[in-house]
Amino acid sequence: MGFLVPAFLAGLVALAVPLLMHLRDRNEESPTRFPSLMFLVRLPIRSADRRRITDWPLLLLRALAVALLVFAFARPYLGSAAAVSTGERTRAVVLAMDRSLSMGHGSTWASALDSARALLDGLAGGDHLSLVLFDDDATVAHGWTTDHAAVRAVLETAAPVAAGTRFGSALRAARGLVAAAPPAALEVVLVSDLQRSGLAGTAGLDWPSDVTLRTALVGGAQRANASVSAVDVRRVLSGDRATVQVQARVTARELEAERPVRARLVLDGREVASRELRLTASGERTVVFDAVPAPAGVVRGAVVIDADALPGDDTFHFTVASDDQLRLALVVPDDLARDETLYLERALAIGRAPGVRLERRRPGTLDAATLDRAAMVFLWDIAPPAGAAGDRLSAWVRAGGGLVVHVGPRLGARRGVALAGAATTAGLADRRAGGGAVFGEHRPDHPLFTPFRSTPAALGAPRFFRYARLEPSAGTDVLARLDDGSPALLERREGEGRVILNALPLDARDGDLPLQPAFLPLMRRLALHGSGFESLPSARATGESWMPRGVRREPVIVRPDGGILRPESSAAGPTDAAIVLDRPGFYEAYESRVDGVPRAVVAANVPPGESDLTRADPRELLLGATTSEAIKANEGPGAAAIELETRQRGWRVLLGVMAALLVAETLLGARGWRGQARRATMQNTGETRG
Amino acid sequence: MSIAPSTLLDPALLARIADLPLLARTVVDGFLHGLHRSARKGLSLDFAEHRPYQPGDDLRRIDWKAYARTDRFYVKEYDADTNAACVLALDCSGSMDYASAGVNKFAYARMLVASLAWLAQRQGDRVGLATFSEQLLEAIPPSTRHLQMILHALARAAPKGEGTIPVGVDRVADLASRPGIVIIVTDCYDEPASMGRAVDTLRARGHDVLVFHLIDPAEEEFGFTGPLVFEDGERGTRLPLRPEETRERYLALWKAHREALQKRMAASGADYVVLRTDRPLDAALHRYLDHRLSSGRVR
Repeated sequence: MGFLVPAFLAGLVALAVPLLMHLRDRNEESPTRFPSLMFLVRLPIRSADRRRITDWPLLLLRALAVALLVFAFARPYLGSAAAVSTGERTRAVVLAMDRSLSMGHGSTWASALDSARALLDGLAGGDHLSLVLFDDDATVAHGWTTDHAAVRAVLETAAPVAAGTRFGSALRAARGLVAAAPPAALEVVLVSDLQRSGLAGTAGLDWPSDVTLRTALVGGAQRANASVSAVDVRRVLSGDRATVQVQARVTARELEAERPVRARLVLDGREVASRELRLTASGERTVVFDAVPAPAGVVRGAVVIDADALPGDDTFHFTVASDDQLRLALVVPDDLARDETLYLERALAIGRAPGVRLERRRPGTLDAATLDRAAMVFLWDIAPPAGAAGDRLSAWVRAGGGLVVHVGPRLGARRGVALAGAATTAGLADRRAGGGAVFGEHRPDHPLFTPFRSTPAALGAPRFFRYARLEPSAGTDVLARLDDGSPALLERREGEGRVILNALPLDARDGDLPLQPAFLPLMRRLALHGSGFESLPSARATGESWMPRGVRREPVIVRPDGGILRPESSAAGPTDAAIVLDRPGFYEAYESRVDGVPRAVVAANVPPGESDLTRADPRELLLGATTSEAIKANEGPGAAAIELETRQRGWRVLLGVMAALLVAETLLGARGWRGQARRATMQNTGETRG
Repeated sequence: MSIAPSTLLDPALLARIADLPLLARTVVDGFLHGLHRSARKGLSLDFAEHRPYQPGDDLRRIDWKAYARTDRFYVKEYDADTNAACVLALDCSGSMDYASAGVNKFAYARMLVASLAWLAQRQGDRVGLATFSEQLLEAIPPSTRHLQMILHALARAAPKGEGTIPVGVDRVADLASRPGIVIIVTDCYDEPASMGRAVDTLRARGHDVLVFHLIDPAEEEFGFTGPLVFEDGERGTRLPLRPEETRERYLALWKAHREALQKRMAASGADYVVLRTDRPLDAALHRYLDHRLSSGRVR
């Protein structure tokens, strides 16, 4: 038996109120008027008698009512104070365990387990516990329970994974758990090496004010680590011989001293080159491997350095795209002049690595097979098809295909023609009389204009005498304009692919661009950028999602460990069939079944930030968080809450008894001689004044 | 349906009549009607004296023979007109402002004085009025024509302050140029000795004194219960008491006071009459007429 809020017991001072009221005599305020006290003052009456308490029953009733009210506010409870009182109440602890790659450094994971065990040992039997395992994503490994052994069992089976760190994910998962926590002192314990690189994403976190966040820092002072942080791969053609040239960047952090490291280049599982290098205590070294003959098809490569305390970042996986020629489907109108596309075809044929192979098609022949083979569709002065063919083309673009529409005099002469949602035609501009138009402005940072960053004057030479005017749609980027402001090149992203509109004349009749030096690199960049060839990264990071390109139906993914995934694709097509790269290595995508050459291959590596073991200040965790109201206020009572309330509901009984006492006081005060006295007093007073 | 005359004298009923002259006439007529004898009892037509004519006097009462002799107007006065000079002294102290259940003591006293004035006027007496509390508040000398003034003065009077008879009694005695009847209406909250001395003063001037002691039933019974705080009606002082415990002692003191008053008044030759405010007024009127006849003031 005790009180939850014993401070309210100070209210017992209020017992003096009824006592003073009885001593003061309420009749002072409504005296009984009498003609003269001439005789009454002669009566031998002691003043003590006049001031004495004359109505003990009423006084006791009132004092008891006040005392009960005070006790009710003090919240009496039954049971032990430890179980009920606010300060010593049951704890509800969210144990958030960092299992990112960096936790595998040296003995860090063992320390983390020790910290977690110590936390579990410190919990009382009735304390609630839940477990969150997090890396760059967070998983509730065990919900709220008082069975600490069950949580301990889950904890013992956990191990670091090859993934990055995102404290934001962990804290949000913990936030979700505390929202459903039983009524108790809420606490989140973060067991982590607290990598600074994992702080991204904590800004904007809504953190309840009544939840305590504690961090258990693990990992010793020794944070020496070396890693392969980046690899630059390119396929180089020397005559007819294709080679692969690989450069790797090796980063060292907080090494005790310089040390030699051997870096090996592995292509398709075979070590093809190796280099020795000396790593400084902290710094980066670039390793340039000799060019090696490129195997056919997609090359799976890796740069590996000697293992250290954190072996997970000592290998960097990458892929090299096959040297197959880019297939472009050039769809030309039926009335195409004989040499109309001559300059374009010749320009695209010149490039190597990759080479560009044009497949000329007529409108209506752009079937699914053609799209499967093509990396880009080039519509020469014709509008994108409508109907089923148009839907097929749109789906193909969203899946990663590239569509380039050249708007020449045929299309430009028709007003209001919709061009794949990127723009509409607005007629033709004829500048033959004024010496022609020139480039007005362009976006030099765009990949399309990469060749002209050092020679921008090259774009000022071409003259354009007759060209189409376009009205860009909302969301369409204008990459270049002519000197009259008319859009010349436009781009619009559609899913994984893109649509590019070109209003520049690509033949020698309406302009002289094909005759200028800028034509060849501009068309080459148009093919590479439009097909998305150059946007394919050689490696991705774990935690990213991957949507394999070129897989049109029933994708099957083989994971690095040999496991097979069959991602669900929606009715809209295979474009939604994406998977999360959850471990380093190579992911291969097939159609329908694992057979033959994979349609797509991607390399995944641990995020480079995971190799940086620089520790953050625990206070930085909630630096960007917003503090919300106490989370317990909006919760409904759980089973434990009902039990708690049951032990505290004595206050209700006290209030009920107090109400009964007040009723008894009213009855007692209004009946018998008290009531008569009251009525007589009131009557006397009223009539006397009247 | 006829109404018994005594009903008309019920103080509770009369208290509802705001018009004091009407009230007084109602009381007196009802009273005289109940006497079943001449309303002109004691009235005499014997010549008493001449007095100079004053504007307003009835021309029929001019003594033309005297005019012929003296060439001046004289009015003949008869004994009936000058039977007695009656001075009504009303206690207007705060203690009079009290009513436990029925009629307020002061209201009762006012009705009583008005009725006595009306009755005296009907009897041919000269009537005067004196109101007093700590001092003499208002004085109207006795006259046969001052009835309306008296009634107006009564209407204006209000109970307030402390009241002691000795303070104003000399002035009351001076009001009447000749010895007459002095009727004191008071609640007698004064020492019997002091009151006796005051009455002695009046008696020494040749006045007959009639003291009406007004009491409220609560003063005589003291039936209060429960712890109460009593407030003095005159001074405002307060006294917390348990009435049940003090009733007997109070009543003993009260009884002793009345007995002392009675003895002292008797010793002074004054007529002492106790009037309860819940009793009709006719007892007081009877007492007045009896006193008037027995005192020999009616010639």
